[in-house]
Formats: sequence, structure tokens, C-alpha cells
Amino acid sequence: MRQENMRRLISVASLVILALVFGFTSNGFFTATNILSILRECAITGIIAIGVSFVIITAGIDLSTGAIVGFVSMLCANLLYNYALPAGLVMFISVLAGTVCGVLNGFVVTKLRVPEFIATLSTQYLFRSLVFVFAIREMGVITNKKITDPGILIMGGSVNGVYLVTITFFALAVIGQVILKKTKLGTYIYATGANRKSADLSGINTDNVRWAVFIITGFLCGIASIFEIGRIGSATTDLGTGLEFEVIAAVVIGGCAFSGGRGDIFGTAVGAIFMAVLQNGILKYNLPTAAQLIIKGVVIVAMIVFDSVYNQYMQKRIHQKASEEAQAAGGEA
Amino acid sequence: MKKKMMSLLMVGAMAVGMLAGCGGVKTDSEAASEAAGGNGKADTATEAATGKNAYSDEIKIGFLPNVIGDSCAAAWAEGMESYLGNFSNVTFNVFDGKASVDTENTIMEQMINENYDAIILQATDAAGLAASTDKAEAAGIPVITCNLDADTVHTGLVAGVDTEAGQQIAERIGESLGGKGKVVIISATPGATKGENIDKGFKEVLKEKYPDIEILDEQSGEWLTENANTVMNDFLTKYQDIDAVLCHNDAMAEGAAEAAKAANKEIQIWGVDGESKMLDYIEQGLCTGTVYTDCQKQGAACAQFCMYAIGSGITAKNLSATPVVKMAPIVVTKENLSEITEDMRW
Repeated sequence: MRQENMRRLISVASLVILALVFGFTSNGFFTATNILSILRECAITGIIAIGVSFVIITAGIDLSTGAIVGFVSMLCANLLYNYALPAGLVMFISVLAGTVCGVLNGFVVTKLRVPEFIATLSTQYLFRSLVFVFAIREMGVITNKKITDPGILIMGGSVNGVYLVTITFFALAVIGQVILKKTKLGTYIYATGANRKSADLSGINTDNVRWAVFIITGFLCGIASIFEIGRIGSATTDLGTGLEFEVIAAVVIGGCAFSGGRGDIFGTAVGAIFMAVLQNGILKYNLPTAAQLIIKGVVIVAMIVFDSVYNQYMQKRIHQKASEEAQAAGGEA
Repeated sequence: MKKKMMSLLMVGAMAVGMLAGCGGVKTDSEAASEAAGGNGKADTATEAATGKNAYSDEIKIGFLPNVIGDSCAAAWAEGMESYLGNFSNVTFNVFDGKASVDTENTIMEQMINENYDAIILQATDAAGLAASTDKAEAAGIPVITCNLDADTVHTGLVAGVDTEAGQQIAERIGESLGGKGKVVIISATPGATKGENIDKGFKEVLKEKYPDIEILDEQSGEWLTENANTVMNDFLTKYQDIDAVLCHNDAMAEGAAEAAKAANKEIQIWGVDGESKMLDYIEQGLCTGTVYTDCQKQGAACAQFCMYAIGSGITAKNLSATPVVKMAPIVVTKENLSEITEDMRW
């Protein structure tokens, strides 16, 4: 079996095993409402993870996604409260704002040549500070106001039980996978991640590729923000804090390697669902918080260690096979 | 290739359109109230609410505090457990909101899906928990908020002292300073109703009765000791003369007290809650006073309110505003510290 398909099988198998463990050891896991709940929970992380997958496949990283979501959500809440703009316009502005954040990230990384980790860590602080700039204030004190515009609130809604955010996530995941596997941009993304120097020498503008993936991530963060405030109905100053790590965990569990050049959106989708199943299952046990965090941490670390070991094993096998074939060819000649 | 993609997209769009048309998109509360039966609003004032038998049917009650780790939440949980433990038909579960609106929303969703009979909620953010409170109420689950309100009509709120605490502290500070002086405020997490009310009460009394007392600054300590310590240090560097500090809770007052001690300054420090650690600080003279709430009794009150709501079947659709039960405020300073007995401490 190809390495890629093997890895996919392992991702799906882990998800199924986890779901079965929770299903048999707790009540109410395999009910329709619970499963629809899980699919809803995974969707926000999942939408952003699509973009972050692109970034990680190019051997980059984006630590500012949570802050972008926080900033865009607060911007929306501010516009709705202070200017009563129509829902459609607010949604357009939010996606635009997210995209602009992505453009800034890409600029700092490609034009200012700051390493991604530091660049996005810094922009994270920048975007988080913008949250406070746009926070709604009454008499100088920050107050959080409910969003009452039905056009926005309906984004947190569902059709026959299936949440809009879930449908959007799956649609965007399909589009993301098609981009990765069937378009030139996808090929360039893999090439940039696998070996940037080679890609440059082959004539690929790796700077533009890396810029593009940040813009895509920012765009997706904007979309995710709309669904987030649609569901919660307000924007708090700490919204999105820690989200970037959930997203990165989902991407890595799904098979994208930090070294770049490997992974796809199918894996990321499985990873996002895995994280949501894990969170949902742990809550069912009603354990104290410390135990919850330990279990979550151990499972994530185990998946990442396994991924690393598996990758090394497969690399060894590939080299072995290559040297065997080289020997056989040398022997013949 | 392009044709394939286009046709895929068209099919996808059609499918989504069909789905949307077929079912119609509903928000959470609409879907929940449909499932529970009924249109979400009582038709006439005389429509009777029917409940369960709270003392014989199997009942599940859940408590979702902001952070289970702090002493206030622990005292509430103790009060609830000791009351509900008397009834063998009641299952009582405590969760942890981890000070996150997202986490609280997720847990609310879970309790709704698992058909809890009542939920006691300490809302991390009033606006942020409004949607899930609506959903729970629409599904027929009464939500009783404890101390931190949710910004929507729900079955009940058991409020610790807030406005009155602010008013009483303002009186005490005003009197002791002779009507003139400078104060700073270390406030709660933005968006918390309790903090807003304490502030309102405090500023009201100062404006009316002590207009010569100046409020130099106000910063959020996010209910936390460490944050308040940092904020207080900032204030002490910025302002030469501070006569008094109002902190929206005891944890922050303790942090401010440490900062004042380190800077060797004599400042009046007031908190709100009345936790055991604060009472010790007052005894040692590090803090001036606090407004005590009997948290265990408050927890028990929430639990009793739940049993009433479950038994009567009353939910938000029978109410036009959230009914509030307020706990009695007791101003505690070094003079009357002995009024708080050992078993009242938490």
C-alpha cells in the first residue's frame, strides 16, 4: 500500500478506536444529538485547520489564527452594535478583515524574511491587541453586548439537526483537498514544503506560494469567526485564545509533518474530528479538570510521537528499497 | 478537469440549496423548543406549567461554575451537595468552565443533550452564555444562574451581593476619609455582571455623597490575585497618593494587599466575597474589609431554587424577566470579624 494511504488508514483507525472506547465506556456517546454536536465542535477548528494544513505543508507554521478569529469576531460585534450594518455586509467585512490579517502574516514572513514562528507569534499579539481596540465600551469600561441580528445568529443554526458550520466545513474541506491534489498551486505547495531550494531552482516562486497559504488561512479564519459569533451570540476579549494549538494539533494528528511536504486535507479533517471526539468523550467521564488535561495531553503526544516514529520507519524502508534497487541495477550492469 | 470541478461545485450548491429549502435553517433555541414541543412562548398568562415530582422521579442537576478551582465555587458546590445529598433520587454533577466562554458553551450543550433536569450556571460572560441559556430553557431545562448572570430571561438568579456591596464599601471609604481622597478600582473581567453592579453601586454613592473623592484609575484584574498584584504595582508607580482601593473580589484584594505591603504603603483595601483567606488578611491588618456572602448557603439556595423549578415546570417561557434572590450582605472589618464563625468560613 502507498505510504500516503497507509497513513490515512492509521488516522481513520485511531479515530474509530477512540470513538469505540468512549462509546462503550460512557453513556450517550453514540446518539444522534451527540454525534451532531461533535461534528459542530470540530467544524470551527476544522475550517481553520484547512488553511493551517497548507501552511504546515509548506514547512511553515501559523500561531496567530486564534488571535485573528478573536479580532475579526470583535470587529463584527462592534460594527453590529455601533453601526447596525446589515448582516451580509458585516460577514463580507469579517472575511475581508481575516484575509487582510493573512496578507500581513505573509508579508512579514516573505518580504521581511522573519521566520514563521516568530512572525506569527508577534502578529498574534498584534491582532489580540486589536481586539481591545475594537471592544465595545460603555463609559470607558469594556462591556460585552449580545448580538441580536438574526442574519448573523442564523449562522449558528442547523438544518434538520445538521449545523451550518459542519456543512461549510465539509464543503471547504473538499475544495481544499481538490486545490492540494488537482491544481498547480497544490503541487507548488508540496514542492515548497518538501525542498524549498529545489522548488526555487525549478522556477516556482516559493515566496508567493508561502504568501498565498497565509492569505488562505486568514480568509478561512474570517469565515470561522462568522460561525463562532453566530453560535455564541457575542464576542469576548479572550475569544479564540488557545485555538491555534487545537488547530495545529488537529493538523499534525491528521498526518501533516512539521518538516513539510506531507499530508492532506482528508487527514486534517480526520484530525479535527479526532480532537472533537476526544474532548467530547473526556467530558462524558466528568473527571476533574487536571485529569481531563492529562488525558488530552497524553493522547495528543502519543499520536505525534507515533507519527514521528512511523515517518522515520517509512523513510528507512524507502531508502532500503532504493539501495536494493540500485544494487540490483549495478549488479546487472 | 475544469468541467468536472464545475459540475461537482454545482451539485454541491444544489444539494445545499435543497437542504436549506427542505428543512429551513433554525437557530439552536428554535430547534430546541420545537423538539420540546410548543412555540417557545406561553400563549396566555393562565397557561399552567407542569413539572416533575422533584422528590421521587429520577433527577439530574448539573453545576457549571466559571472555575471550579476557586474557593467560592468550592463553597457553592459544597452547599449544593450537602442539600441535594439528602434526596436519593437526585444525581448532582459538577463541571469546570475553565474560565472560558467556549468551554462553558460546550458543557451547556452536553448537559442539554444528556437531558439534565436543571442547570446551575455561573456565566463566564453574560452575553456569551445567553444563547446556550436560551437553548436550555427552550428545551425545558430551567437554568439558575449563581452570582454571574446570563444576559437573557431565565428561570432564576441567586445573586451574591453586588450593587449593595459597592454602595456599602463606598460609604465606609467615604466616611473614613472624611469625604476627601483618592481611590483606584481593580475591576472584574469585562462583561461580568457582578463586577458591573459593584462598580455601579460604588460610583453611585461616591457621586451622590462624596463628590470630593476622586477615582484615579480603573483596570481589570480579571478576578485573579496575580493580575491584581501587577495592576496594583502599576498604580503605585503611576500615582503618588492612593488612599483606598476597591477590588471586585477578595482574590484581587489579596493581590493588591501584597503589592501595597511590598511598597510599604498604608492603603485601605476592600474586597467583596468574604473568603477565609481574606478574613485572615483582615485580621493581620493587610486588608481593611470585605462584604461577606455565605457561599454555602448561596449554593444551597441555588439547589433549592432548582427543585422548585423542576417541580413547578416553570421555565423562561412563563417569565417576562429573570426572578432574583439576593444574598444578605455583611460588611466585615477587623472590629466585627468575630461575627463570622468557623463554620461560616469558606
